Amino acid sequence: MARPIQEIPKWLLTLMNNLCEIERKLAVHGDPGHASRNVDRIKDALHSEELLLFYEDPMGQPFNETRTDLEASISGQSTENLVVVEVIKPIVRIGPPQKSWVVQKGIVVVQAKEEGKTL
Amino acid sequence: MTKMINFGIDLGTTNSLIAKFEKGQVDVFKNPNGFKETLPSVVGFRNDRTLIGDPARTFAEKDPKSVGSRFKRKMGTTETVKIKAIKSSKTPVELSAFVLKELKTFVHTGEAVDAAVITIPASFDTVQSNATKEAGLAAGFKHVVLLQEPIAASLAYANKEKGVDLRNSQWMTYDLGGGTFDVALVRIVEGELTVIDHEGDNYLGGSDFDAMLVELLIVPEISRRGRFADLLNQLKSEKGKHNAIWYRLLHAAEACKIELSSKTSSEIDLSSISLADDDGVTVDTESLITITRSEFEAVIKDAIDGTAEMMKKILTRNSLRPEDLEFVLMVGGSTYIPYVRKRVGELMGIAINTSIDPTNAIVVGAAFYAGAKEIRTGNDLKTAAPNAHQIKLRCVYNRNTQESEETFTARVEGDIAGLFFRITGEDGAYDSGLKALTARITEDLPLREGAFNLFTFKILDAQNNPVDVGFDSIQIAQGRYSVAGQMLPEDINLVKDDLSKKDTVLDRLFAKNSVLPATGKKTVEVAKTIVKGSDDYLRLIVVEGPTGRHSSTNKPIGILMITGKQINRDLLRGTEIDLTIEMSESRDLTVSAYLNGTGQEFSQVFKGSERQVDPRLLASEVLQLETSVMNEIDEATENGSHDTADMLERLQNQVRDLITECSALAEDDVTDDRFKLEDKKRRIAQEVFELTSSKRLDAAKVAYFEAKKVAASVVQDNGNDREKHTLREIISLEQTFIESTNPQRIELMAEKLGSLRFQILWRLPGFLVSMFDHLNGRRAAMNDQVQAKQLFENGKRLIVEESWDDLSQVIRRLWDLVPDEERSTEDVRLYTGVV
Repeated sequence: MARPIQEIPKWLLTLMNNLCEIERKLAVHGDPGHASRNVDRIKDALHSEELLLFYEDPMGQPFNETRTDLEASISGQSTENLVVVEVIKPIVRIGPPQKSWVVQKGIVVVQAKEEGKTL
Repeated sequence: MTKMINFGIDLGTTNSLIAKFEKGQVDVFKNPNGFKETLPSVVGFRNDRTLIGDPARTFAEKDPKSVGSRFKRKMGTTETVKIKAIKSSKTPVELSAFVLKELKTFVHTGEAVDAAVITIPASFDTVQSNATKEAGLAAGFKHVVLLQEPIAASLAYANKEKGVDLRNSQWMTYDLGGGTFDVALVRIVEGELTVIDHEGDNYLGGSDFDAMLVELLIVPEISRRGRFADLLNQLKSEKGKHNAIWYRLLHAAEACKIELSSKTSSEIDLSSISLADDDGVTVDTESLITITRSEFEAVIKDAIDGTAEMMKKILTRNSLRPEDLEFVLMVGGSTYIPYVRKRVGELMGIAINTSIDPTNAIVVGAAFYAGAKEIRTGNDLKTAAPNAHQIKLRCVYNRNTQESEETFTARVEGDIAGLFFRITGEDGAYDSGLKALTARITEDLPLREGAFNLFTFKILDAQNNPVDVGFDSIQIAQGRYSVAGQMLPEDINLVKDDLSKKDTVLDRLFAKNSVLPATGKKTVEVAKTIVKGSDDYLRLIVVEGPTGRHSSTNKPIGILMITGKQINRDLLRGTEIDLTIEMSESRDLTVSAYLNGTGQEFSQVFKGSERQVDPRLLASEVLQLETSVMNEIDEATENGSHDTADMLERLQNQVRDLITECSALAEDDVTDDRFKLEDKKRRIAQEVFELTSSKRLDAAKVAYFEAKKVAASVVQDNGNDREKHTLREIISLEQTFIESTNPQRIELMAEKLGSLRFQILWRLPGFLVSMFDHLNGRRAAMNDQVQAKQLFENGKRLIVEESWDDLSQVIRRLWDLVPDEERSTEDVRLYTGVV
């Protein structure tokens, strides 16, 4: 495979995972202090020309066996028409948006679409 | 010539690894799709695909009829794994061969893997061992050598601790992995490592500990926070309404377990999940759940004690006392847990040896063994001739698309029997799995929006060796070259003030050829304080043109003005402004500015069809242009470049005419005069830029080489390793920026060298003393004379005492007392008010 295998320091991935979690918490609990702006600023700094790192929250995205950017646990009985219902870690990518590659798989829980409505 | 096997494979029950011995070192290969060294030993068959590793493991629990896992334990038996998806059965040998073939793809060096040492558990009998060998041959290895896992782990240890003498000694290897446990007694008999006895549990490992943590500690705590009749069952049952949360809890438990290896307590934060109890009341998930190390240890105690019991059985069977053993060698990821080490040591009374990496010790040992094991050489080891199958391929797919998925189809001619194909995304997000090659193949490829999507296409024979068909790459550009996705013809830049050069500088917002619509963000700082209610202003100017040129040569496309009258409190110098810039497909520009100091947001849309020219701004730009032309004339005359000076003088006359025309222009002029004048100004500015660009480039190069010379000498004499590395890094990039036509890029590198030099100088006594003397010369002008006097006295004492660190602090404080020239100079004309 031509894609370079890039070692991203663990502390940097920990930082991004936690930033994503902060973002999700702000979405769940509200953001009276406008902390999302600071989150955005940190994200911009991480995606600056020196680092080019960014993460993607795959919540709600479809999942099947060909996706290698996600490490999924299947909830429920069905294994067809799966969608992401829980995100434990986001997908981390490196590179400019036009040509980036995965440096951390997202860790998610997936569930069949029709079962998903119980959540 | 003698050729060694060199490749070692740990064909594990739950995970497998591959490593290579080369020049005395072992390199463990990484999973190209997983960022880790391991490949889950799981094979799945879904929707006509064969999946190996992580994608198969995802379905192992919920779709066991299509997935084979833990088949290593069935090696050598007649038991087969019935696979519903392919309506047939697979033997453990066939499934193992899939894993071995997949491991070959980890070898990124591209070399053919013809032979390997494959490890087997100590418990494997002859039939099981032969079955493993058969799997190796089925995977395409011409030569397979087997090695027992405890021996491999011991070899890894012996190669790491070369000074240790293990002659006439015996020890145990304790292998506690993710899902299995094995313990073996190893002895050196007549100079050879031999496994004397062994015990094991096929269903004990780290994942069981995670589940225990959830069941015994986390779930009871959550149950206390709400009313649940049977929470555990609702979590664990696949029909249970909280089943999705079960997996989140397992991951949280795993993280907690890992943290407890280095800390005495760990906090589980579940606040990002929402959970309702049986009455529909939302359960408090915001309060953290604290798990202490001793609580965790109590949970796994029985399991660990069970492993010690197995070890005791081995001792009893072999009439050994604990003191007869040298040590217990810890292998497997779960032996990272301090309690496992401590408890086993306590119960057994034997020294615990943790000197090897428990996660890859077996494969490392296998590779060391392979490095010393010869293979046969001869024609039989040569790989098959490329494309012996006479395959011809005709591929059809859209290379440019707006769709989120594109169908790849190909007609295949030739001898396709027994061949497979596989498509993988080069970004690591897609893998078709192995699919049988048929006369016509079709595959839907998922695409990333606005990106070049690259896929690797491979046709593979039964041993996973690639067959060269002259086609190996699929390239699809999503959102490009189509009617809907427009590309930017020029860079889009923000104009900022450059205080050091008393000029402006461009900061790129969107690069040329970016696909529209596009959104960008930038943070700038206020360069001068804007007093509330005053006429002071900030100008956020967006221009179109090459970033490397001067702002006056770019075309203005939008100006957002913020005046003192619009703000609700003073906007202090240094306050940050968050800018969001959006450009639609029809090139409408939206500039939004959030003022962090006042909490206000200003936004304006500039239509792509309407040009923005502010007569006031135009007038000030023309004046600025005149100043810069005059400076250039002076410089050209000084340098004896009379031709350039003459041409610049002609341009200067044109600028003067322009000044007259601009002054006649009313602020609310409704004609298109201002556009004409703006065009004229830009044309003159471009000519000035072209006349002087080579001069700036040359000056930047000279400045860079000078900076390099002085920095290199300082770094060489007084720099540390890190500073030497930084210097080497800058110099290694030299060719790329020196050959560019962008003076700013070269200037930036010169600045970096300057900073590096000063970073070192600030540690040197000679430099500090001369800096101190220099400041002493400026003492009279300092802002606070009382403080200055005190600092100078301190400084003198520190020089006598040779306290250089403290002296450097004193000098920094003295610098703060020097009047800020930049701020006090009257003639600094700010053009935008932002830096």
